[in-house]
Amino acid sequence: MTRYIAGVFLAFCFMAAFSHAQAAADLNVNTPAVAAVKAAMQARHAQLSAYYQSGAVGLTVEGFVAVKDASLVPLSQRGALAGLVNDENTDRTHLYQGIAAANGHPEWEGEIQRIFALRWIDKAQSGWFVQREGQWSRK
Amino acid sequence: MRICWMIVCLWITHVHAVTHISVSADSISYDNIVLQQPRAKLDLQSGQQVKVDAARLQIGAATLDKPQIFLNVSRHPTLLVTSSALQSEHYQARNPTILLDYRTHPTQPILSLDAEIKATGDEIWGTFHLRCLVPPQASLQTWQCHDGLYQDVRSHIPFHVQVTPTLKSAAGATSLARGMEVMLNVNQARFSDAAGLHAGENLTGQIRLSAYEQADGWRWKGLFHWTQGELFWQPFYFAEGGKRFEISGFYQAPYLDIEQAQLSLDGVGTLHSKSRINLVSKDFELLTVNATDVDFNGVYKAFIQPLVAKSVFGSLNVSGKADWSFEAKGLQPLKFNLHIIDASVEDQNGKFGFSHFNANIPWDYERPQQISMGYQSGHVLQIPLGETKWQAEVNRFSITAPQLRLPLLDGALDFQDFSAAWINQSMVWHVKMDMQPISMRSFSQALGWPEMRGQIDGEIPLVTYANHALRMTGEMQFKLFNGKVGMSDLEIVDPLGAVPKLHANFNMRDIDLGEITRTFNFGSISGKLEGDVRHLRLQNWKPVYMDAVIQTADGPFEKKISQRAVENITALGGEGTAAALQRTFLRFFKEFGYEKIGLRCELRGDICKMGGVENVPDGFVIVKGQGVPAVNVNGYTQYVSWKDVLSRMQRVTDSNSKIIIK
Repeated sequence: MTRYIAGVFLAFCFMAAFSHAQAAADLNVNTPAVAAVKAAMQARHAQLSAYYQSGAVGLTVEGFVAVKDASLVPLSQRGALAGLVNDENTDRTHLYQGIAAANGHPEWEGEIQRIFALRWIDKAQSGWFVQREGQWSRK
Repeated sequence: MRICWMIVCLWITHVHAVTHISVSADSISYDNIVLQQPRAKLDLQSGQQVKVDAARLQIGAATLDKPQIFLNVSRHPTLLVTSSALQSEHYQARNPTILLDYRTHPTQPILSLDAEIKATGDEIWGTFHLRCLVPPQASLQTWQCHDGLYQDVRSHIPFHVQVTPTLKSAAGATSLARGMEVMLNVNQARFSDAAGLHAGENLTGQIRLSAYEQADGWRWKGLFHWTQGELFWQPFYFAEGGKRFEISGFYQAPYLDIEQAQLSLDGVGTLHSKSRINLVSKDFELLTVNATDVDFNGVYKAFIQPLVAKSVFGSLNVSGKADWSFEAKGLQPLKFNLHIIDASVEDQNGKFGFSHFNANIPWDYERPQQISMGYQSGHVLQIPLGETKWQAEVNRFSITAPQLRLPLLDGALDFQDFSAAWINQSMVWHVKMDMQPISMRSFSQALGWPEMRGQIDGEIPLVTYANHALRMTGEMQFKLFNGKVGMSDLEIVDPLGAVPKLHANFNMRDIDLGEITRTFNFGSISGKLEGDVRHLRLQNWKPVYMDAVIQTADGPFEKKISQRAVENITALGGEGTAAALQRTFLRFFKEFGYEKIGLRCELRGDICKMGGVENVPDGFVIVKGQGVPAVNVNGYTQYVSWKDVLSRMQRVTDSNSKIIIK
């Protein structure tokens, strides 16, 4: 019962944080920095989507991507896979920072990151792996 | 053997016969084996069973918790040791069992080891199995161990191992030295860590190790021979085996001396190394590496490319040979030498390339060294580079050169007083440059532009790079189209970062309009052009701010504009721009006189506020006519997006072949 109450309480906190930032932050703000990061991420997506589909890479609850099962990728391509994941996460960090900075509130970064994490998971295609409560599940 | 506190109990049944004898002790120790609180029970009825329980069995550094020892003392005895857990520094084992079995070979027992094991700190348990035939003279003859297997969810490592205790007479020693030879064969092994960043597939190879004791330490030798399989060790990837690593040295606590290490890689060459490692402090007290006549392509593919995959050096085709040596003490580099012999480097994306590249790059922490490098020919983008030879002095972490000449097309760049240094892990450099005139003809041809006349000639005053920003002091001047283009106050912040920011001012004077219009096939305008671009700001190489004016200069020269140029200017002015051509009769004239022509743009963000040479109600004048026949072009759209301005320019320069005059 206490776990249930704690869960409901957490959900409320989450919704409050979500609706607050939604109301306050412009998530579609476009500065040259944000546009450059978005363009780089878009270009990378073509390479990453095959890995999402195969389950080698999944979306984490923190708004990043992670290698979920490297064994699906031949050894000769593991270096490239690690590089892609690393670059994507660097860009995602820059994206969250950039949007927060463009809104004039660098301290919103964490909140913006949480909202994006939900968005990415929501937008994930069926068959992709997403992380929920520390566990990977197929969407 | 030492036994402390022994108690003997006899178990007597109702028929007054002794059935069991129990012996317990506080501890029994033998060599480096300690059995704590053992309790042995001998079953007198079968006469063959001894069972020993203990609190702990200590074998060297390993501890077995609650061991149970079953000894069957028949004609073919067996000894079975089981325990709940084995603890050691790096590994944990649970349910380990050790079985010594004399049943098949009375003189050669079989020793079987089984356990579930994992590395301390790892989460996954794997199973380990090994079966050894113990030779009759265990301390002198070879132990053959077969069916070795380690496996877990990610790994499957089958192996067999041969261990031979040795006694040999070392040079100069009177007594025999004890030693050991180990030969380990791995067959079709596969392993991976959880992230898959350290993994091997189909690995087959052999490891031979031998060591013998000397008065003051151990002399040892190792040979690693990997014949097939592939290995990924982030970020390096090695395929197809063909690797051989020989290593030998001496061990005397706490120093491990690697007197000779030799790594042979197929397609690369051989690397030699010497080092002294302090095993306690984990420091490299000394490290030398040298490799002669190695294949540059092999070294690049195996070691350099994975490290620089994302940089401009990440996709090169290289060839040639290289000699390389390196010396360090406590990981502080002392000496370095790289000698590249007749190499060629070509970027796969065609950005740059050099052929017949030679370099001699010595470096010494203690004293300055002269470095030299050069190439016979090369290119950057499509611009060809002529034969180049550079010399510079390198002093610890700085490099200086009074003069560097870079032949380029039919001219050259002359760098003077170049100096660069690594300070606090970031690069600082400054340079001056003079230019030997480069003809616009060769420059435009190289870039595939329309052929231009004139020449690029100029000088770059001091340029400095520090704190991730490039700054130019003074004005850089180019001579173009018989006039001058100057650039001043140049500053580029974070040129290699995610969002480079540039600021600069430009001015143009005495540019021959006839030359420009002929070059770009724009129609023809005679006269001179001048212009100023104040506070040009680029973010990510896109303009976001500027105050730009370009206009014809006043002066006693002919001022004529052709019909076609008028049409093009009208198109540049965009929607709402009207040439006040009284088309009915003016279309018969090929050219018109003008007083002045000009355009302004105040760019703020993506929006350009347009202007001309004069204002008129609701608009501005772009071409102000003079004389007879005269023509005026007016613009009426004041705010235009920068994207539209660019696409208009594109259209005008692209579509010059179809000018229709009605």
